[in-house]
Amino acid sequence: MLKITNLSATVGEAAEAKTILNGLSLNVPAGEVHAIMGPNGAVKSTLSYVLTGRSGYEVTGGSATLNGEDVLDMDPEIRAAKGMFLSFQYPIEIPGVPVMTFVRTAMNAQRKARGEAEISAPDFIKKSRDVAKMLNLDAEMLKRPVNVGFSGGEKKRLEIYQMMMLEPKFLILDETDSGLDIDALKTVADGVNAMRDPSRGMLVITHYQRLLDYIKPDKVHVLAKGQIIKTGGPELALRLEQEGYDGVLGEAA
Amino acid sequence: MTTALRDFIKNPTTAELELVARYAMQPEDGRRERAFLAFAETGLPHRRMEAWKWSDFKAALKALETPASASANDPVPHDGALVFRFAPTGFEQPKTLPEGVRILTQPTTQALSGAEDVPLGALAAALAGGGARPSTMVIEITSSDLPRLHFVFDGAGEASFARIIFLVRSGVSLTMTESYLGGAGFTAALLEFNLEDAARLNRTIYQRGGTDEALAVTGLINLAANSAAVQTTLAFGAKVARMETRAVHQGSGAKLTLNAAYLSGKGLHADITTHVRHGAPGCVTRQLTKGAVLDGGTGVFQGKFFVPRKTGQHTDADMQHQALLLEDGAVVFAKPELEIYADDVECAHGNTCGALDDAQMFYLRQRGIPETQARAMLTEAFIAEALSTADDSVRDVLLAEAQNWLSS
Repeated sequence: MLKITNLSATVGEAAEAKTILNGLSLNVPAGEVHAIMGPNGAVKSTLSYVLTGRSGYEVTGGSATLNGEDVLDMDPEIRAAKGMFLSFQYPIEIPGVPVMTFVRTAMNAQRKARGEAEISAPDFIKKSRDVAKMLNLDAEMLKRPVNVGFSGGEKKRLEIYQMMMLEPKFLILDETDSGLDIDALKTVADGVNAMRDPSRGMLVITHYQRLLDYIKPDKVHVLAKGQIIKTGGPELALRLEQEGYDGVLGEAA
Repeated sequence: MTTALRDFIKNPTTAELELVARYAMQPEDGRRERAFLAFAETGLPHRRMEAWKWSDFKAALKALETPASASANDPVPHDGALVFRFAPTGFEQPKTLPEGVRILTQPTTQALSGAEDVPLGALAAALAGGGARPSTMVIEITSSDLPRLHFVFDGAGEASFARIIFLVRSGVSLTMTESYLGGAGFTAALLEFNLEDAARLNRTIYQRGGTDEALAVTGLINLAANSAAVQTTLAFGAKVARMETRAVHQGSGAKLTLNAAYLSGKGLHADITTHVRHGAPGCVTRQLTKGAVLDGGTGVFQGKFFVPRKTGQHTDADMQHQALLLEDGAVVFAKPELEIYADDVECAHGNTCGALDDAQMFYLRQRGIPETQARAMLTEAFIAEALSTADDSVRDVLLAEAQNWLSS
């Protein structure tokens, strides 16, 4: 499903460009959940931005394909229409744009790009109501401007709300556990688990093992120095928790 | 007339000579002469005058010529409104007027105090009238139970001048709208609002103009005790377009809201200039101006609050100007000024200019919203607050016009 081959990227202007991804390879088949773990400063978030097309990064080598299509030359909105979704580590505030308006505009823009009909207002409202109920989101909150005045936990739940509304094919969760208390973490994980599907892939980026107790990965990769330096099953996450990154990284080096 | 006409203005341009010729056609009248002399003192305002340094009418207006572009359509609804239409050579007004609105026709020009501060307002006062057009239109409002009054400025021609004076009687509310739709090479309109005790005014201005048109709208608002005025402007600019408002708090407890949004595209210049004098204690002013400018467009904001030492005590005033430079090559000039001599006041101001936020743009695009649409959405959200004070009957119209501009 998502196939990253020998991907290299830099950040910054020409002379001061800094290599941040250095020949990274990764393959997430449909139906699987892969976790990416790594120490702070291991540019885990960078990988999510390069994959979703944020400006400021330059791909200098390698490829990334979603279902066989190279995504790296696509505008961010085209990647979104193809099914790429990023749950942001720090969701952005959009003053003046209510949540419902925002999500409906996004949904219809994606549908238009795919040549599909727009969703009807009643269908949208019904779907929104169902998703909001599952995530314990107050209907009033969905009328407020996107993320403005939301608590950290509310912002993360709103990311999952958007994800469940837009039903992307491939999910990237960037440090979704940061800033969440245990109850919010469970709610968010329930939402993510409800999205698990044989046709859908997920990449869960996290610093701590904790999130993986709730979202069970099929594989765990350790990212350091712009590469995947170790891959294993869920037990690798537990080892990292016990031995620390230094222990595992020392062994790899 | 003691002065030879050609001596009115030093080194006159072609346009100024044409304005002098137009003045010569007007009936002789001492007040009209004083208004014209106030204009002639400087001629068409130009960049060497501090208040006009960013909006140079002398340079922009070489001669009075009918522009190539026709008037824009009026998005402000005419149904249910009392419509007054000013064209370069024509004038229309409702056949009958309901009780509560009275038009006083004045054979002579009304005096214009402070004419030297508003050269193009003075020019409008000197040149209004001729043919079917009233030289000064005085409208007395004695009932709050009136339809909206709507003033349209359109039609093709070289120049269009108008002067309208409103007397809003004690405790009465007036809702009125204006549409400046272009079509004339030069338009100068002067609107004066005299609000008696506890009177209320809601004024909404819609402006569109072409790249070979000059427009100056001068509004003078006098607020008596406990009166309130709310003004909302949506301006798209012209070759040069100045939307100027001078307001004076004359009685305690008066409240003024001055909001504006300007959207300037290529070759267009929109100037929002305001001057508010807190001439009575305990008055409130709230001002919010938002702008968005494209490559080749210009926005100007000049705001001043003047708070005298004695009369200005307990003033509560806030001035905000925020502009978005949507593309490289967009230009915004801003000069917010607070001149405060009273010591027991609350006055604040803020002024920002910047680009759209990259992080916000990426967030919208990551969710599938294309770049142009994302930019329009963010910009509309940004300016909408300034238009929120428009009358219910026109607010959505203004937002839709802004949205159309942003998405095109």
